[in-house]
Amino acid sequence: MILEIAEFLVQGMLLGVIYGLIAFPISLLFLTTDSVDFAVGGYAVLAGCAAAAMGGSGGIAAGIVLAVLASIIVGAISIRLNRPSHHDPLTVVLATFGVAVFIESAVLTFIGKDPMIQQPFEVFWNVAGIRISPQAGINIAVGLALLSGLYGLLYGTSFGRDMRASAANAVGASLAGIRVRAIWFGTYIVGGFLAGVAGILVLYTVGTDYSSGAGLTMSGFGAAVVLGLSSPLRGFLGGLAIGMVQAVSSGYLPGGWATATPLLFIFIILASGRMNITAVSGGRA
Amino acid sequence: MNSYSLFTWRHPALSLLMIVSVGTAASYGHPFLLDNSIMIGIFSLMALSVGISYGQAGILSLATATFAAIGAFATAILTVNYRLSPYLGLLAAILLPTVCAYLLARCILRLSPLPLSIATFVLGGLVEVLIKQGGDFTGGYIGLSGIPRLSIAPSAQAMHFLTWAVVLLVVVLCVSLMNSSTGRAINTARHDPLRAVADGVDVPHLLSNTFAFSGAIAGVAGWLYAHHITYIGPDSLTTQVSITVLLMAVVGGVKVILGPIFGAAILMVVVLYLPAAESQGMFFGSILVFMLLVAPNGLLGSRWRLPTLRGGLERPTSPMLLMPAKEEN
Repeated sequence: MILEIAEFLVQGMLLGVIYGLIAFPISLLFLTTDSVDFAVGGYAVLAGCAAAAMGGSGGIAAGIVLAVLASIIVGAISIRLNRPSHHDPLTVVLATFGVAVFIESAVLTFIGKDPMIQQPFEVFWNVAGIRISPQAGINIAVGLALLSGLYGLLYGTSFGRDMRASAANAVGASLAGIRVRAIWFGTYIVGGFLAGVAGILVLYTVGTDYSSGAGLTMSGFGAAVVLGLSSPLRGFLGGLAIGMVQAVSSGYLPGGWATATPLLFIFIILASGRMNITAVSGGRA
Repeated sequence: MNSYSLFTWRHPALSLLMIVSVGTAASYGHPFLLDNSIMIGIFSLMALSVGISYGQAGILSLATATFAAIGAFATAILTVNYRLSPYLGLLAAILLPTVCAYLLARCILRLSPLPLSIATFVLGGLVEVLIKQGGDFTGGYIGLSGIPRLSIAPSAQAMHFLTWAVVLLVVVLCVSLMNSSTGRAINTARHDPLRAVADGVDVPHLLSNTFAFSGAIAGVAGWLYAHHITYIGPDSLTTQVSITVLLMAVVGGVKVILGPIFGAAILMVVVLYLPAAESQGMFFGSILVFMLLVAPNGLLGSRWRLPTLRGGLERPTSPMLLMPAKEEN
């Protein structure tokens, strides 16, 4: 029983690392623009599908490039719709919904409905009686490496400082000479890159198909909000938590309830008001 | 009064009545046209629900189709599982989404707009799971078939009349609401909640009631959908449909009463000529982005002008009016 739960927890960590990678751009974007990029799961699906279609390391690179290109388009749309002096996060959210719907339909049209998965490892590790795929090691290594890199970017470079300043006070940052819109644009590109890497990991972990985007976005969003949106780095740990909850519930709950668990989790967090920024007071209370 | 304001402000119901009359004459005796007209009417109701919640109250709901699904399943369960009257089903199809929407709004309306919209998105996902896991009660993955047709609308022609009569009734209700002091309070609460509170408005209660009203409209759409198609399943009224309906409202003009109906009619007709169902998402997604970039107030909500040497195709309208802003002299 304990071994069984431990195995589910390890499987959950495999997924959780991916959710953590998607959570990072979601929370970073929310902090800098008050908006959420709903197409982030779509970038991951694009990357996964391109990697599966082309195969090899060239496919992986092409997948990540495709995800970044998609995020550049979304970033340009977002910049066109939003300005530091004129925030309208809902319009941007709507636009990213449009892009997410476009990507899902494009993948369905050009690649098809069949799920895609790559499983390069046939031999599993046995650690204290728990079967662990070597992919777990890759996922965690990639996740930690990217996390360290992003931490360095945020807290060790002038770009990261500008990014944090734009998040704290967009108008103040622009008055101080920071090119806030360029920072926002950069945030979208970073998000596209992370989502692309996450998409490759998804392909090699549980597989992907045209409809995976919305689920990945919601799980990433849940990961971002579970420990609070104040620090993007917490999203990584939030991702691990969501992944483990999902894996354990898929092991012990019937069918679709496993899908519902993270959603319920997110709903409770939202209803508790932890993500509140400007309530009905109009932001002046 | 020019023709523009006729369609958008003074007499939306009258304008709609005229258009429906022409449409009825054109489609009389043509089963294909009648079926499309009925579906346009049903989607118009859902788009009107978006118009009230998002256009007037500022609540971006991604659960419109979810409320319609609740209404559709309520009537389907009562009429198929318990052999009760579809008119009792109508009562359930209105009450259940109304109560769900009100309770949801009371829970989440204290949130800022973005978390609120995400909460409605999450609700859509949860309801889909509930429907799929509902076993024989909801029909599970198979859904419920054999939903009876309405005795007052046994033919496609009669269903056409019934659907558009309901749309007209809802338009009259929406116009009356938005022209009343309550409507003005809704607009104020949308744009400056603190000002609305200072005016003595109970903002959460008012917005919850508005959201419940929009849920009721979607529920009626679900009722009509279930009794027209005679089948409802977990894939019938999904979050994807919510996004499509939202797009219809945005295309037509979410802040103008007739805008969502206009958008629904245009997109439903365009969909007929799209090559494949798989590629519809590409069309809808790109149109949504294009509209947000070029005409965020929608086709009816924008004051279109011929391009001038100084550039610009349109001038945005005031964000909180039922009609486009008047030209300044």
